Amino acid sequence: MEDKLIKIINIIRANKGLSKIKQFSENDSLRDNYEFTSFDLAELTVRIEDEFDIDIFEDGIVSTLGEIKAKLSK
Amino acid sequence: MIDFIIDGTFVITYKSFIRDLNERNYYYPVYRSPDLYSYCLNLCYALINNKPITLIDSDINETELNSLGLANQVDKKELLESNISYKSIDVILNSISKSGSLITIFTSGTTGQPKKITHTIENLTRSVKKGDKFSNQVWAFAYNPTHMAGIQVLLQAILNINTIVNVFNKNRNYTLDSIEKHNITHISATPTFYRLLMPAERVFKSVQRVTLGGEKSDNNLHSNILTLFPDAKITNIYASTEAGSLFASKGEFFELPKSLGDLIKVVDNEILIHQSLLGKSGSLSLANEYYPTGDLIEWIEEEKGLFKFKSRKNELINVGGYKVNPTEVEDVINSLDGVLQCIVYSKSNSVLGNILCCDIKSIVPDLTELSIRRYLSEKLQDFKIPRKIKFVDEISLTRTGKIKRI
Repeated sequence: MEDKLIKIINIIRANKGLSKIKQFSENDSLRDNYEFTSFDLAELTVRIEDEFDIDIFEDGIVSTLGEIKAKLSK
Repeated sequence: MIDFIIDGTFVITYKSFIRDLNERNYYYPVYRSPDLYSYCLNLCYALINNKPITLIDSDINETELNSLGLANQVDKKELLESNISYKSIDVILNSISKSGSLITIFTSGTTGQPKKITHTIENLTRSVKKGDKFSNQVWAFAYNPTHMAGIQVLLQAILNINTIVNVFNKNRNYTLDSIEKHNITHISATPTFYRLLMPAERVFKSVQRVTLGGEKSDNNLHSNILTLFPDAKITNIYASTEAGSLFASKGEFFELPKSLGDLIKVVDNEILIHQSLLGKSGSLSLANEYYPTGDLIEWIEEEKGLFKFKSRKNELINVGGYKVNPTEVEDVINSLDGVLQCIVYSKSNSVLGNILCCDIKSIVPDLTELSIRRYLSEKLQDFKIPRKIKFVDEISLTRTGKIKRI
């Protein structure tokens, strides 16, 4: 699950012309560490939903990588 | 002296603003500026001098400028022989309120290219409230300053000598820290903006008024906003690029303002606006002096004029408060070598309300999502770029041969 998630994050960064992230940590902020805007967060929800069939933002905004993983492992 | 604009580490007072206006002898009729203060200075200078001005987004690119016919005009200085000196802010504000300038803005057209709407200052300040009650307010500025909602917040703040703190396109932490640091009292933004401030982990008591506009909001969001800003009153605003802001909500529902009388009508559940309330545009089609907005409503109590918004009649897609015309995006994608056909459509999204998606039928195997996104970013503003691109063998058509939207 983690590999797929990391792949998705790097696809979104590549689409923005940003470099690949190699080191990931649970506390990574989606906005600060990955430089995601609201449009990127929206793209993230769509890609995660396609892959895992879960809308991670359905009941409020998640802000870190750890929070996404927690939602996906429920 | 009261601060005028706070933008990151940049702070300018109204006193310095007056000085800058007095020292000017030029303006840009079509100005592309990412800097909020430069933009406001240019706009106010044009208004004071009764000069026409066209407002364009700072991230607009050459292709879009070309198609709007503005490529040769952008960022060209025009010298003005202005010998008038403005000693006080009151004189300046008075000239702005009575300006004879024509202000042109753009809106997503329902067919093809964006359309041009030209407003008078009277149109733009119709909903501005002035008076002692409105002094000492501190605004979080969260809209694009070249769009209708942004212009209205700017004018509301400037005409009451309020402080404007720029949080447009800033991240969540920066925005929340700014609200705390500058004791922000008023926020006007899209539902998407507020959704991105969640979860409500902190509480901000300085905020007295929260206004939502530009897209549909919901009760769940309202209760989250009240957790974040417990002392705030929440208002929903309905505004259009064609007419400016028209009505505010009464709780969950909107109310037709009696002051506008017959100037707003509802026919077949669609809101119609009388031409006297509209800006001027060659491309608005009117029916018996009324402009059909395409906004469909449902009556809650018709006798009292209470209603709620249901949907839109035309195909504009609202992405986080930005309206996108799918045809415009399809035209650009179709111009790419190897694309046989495409369809741009929306999918509902918990962050932005809707997100743009695109299905493409292509004959070139090396066309990738990344290469298409790069191409589009040279031709279109970011909010118009589909966030999900799928390659398909066939695009389903309706029986009449029209492309089917989902």
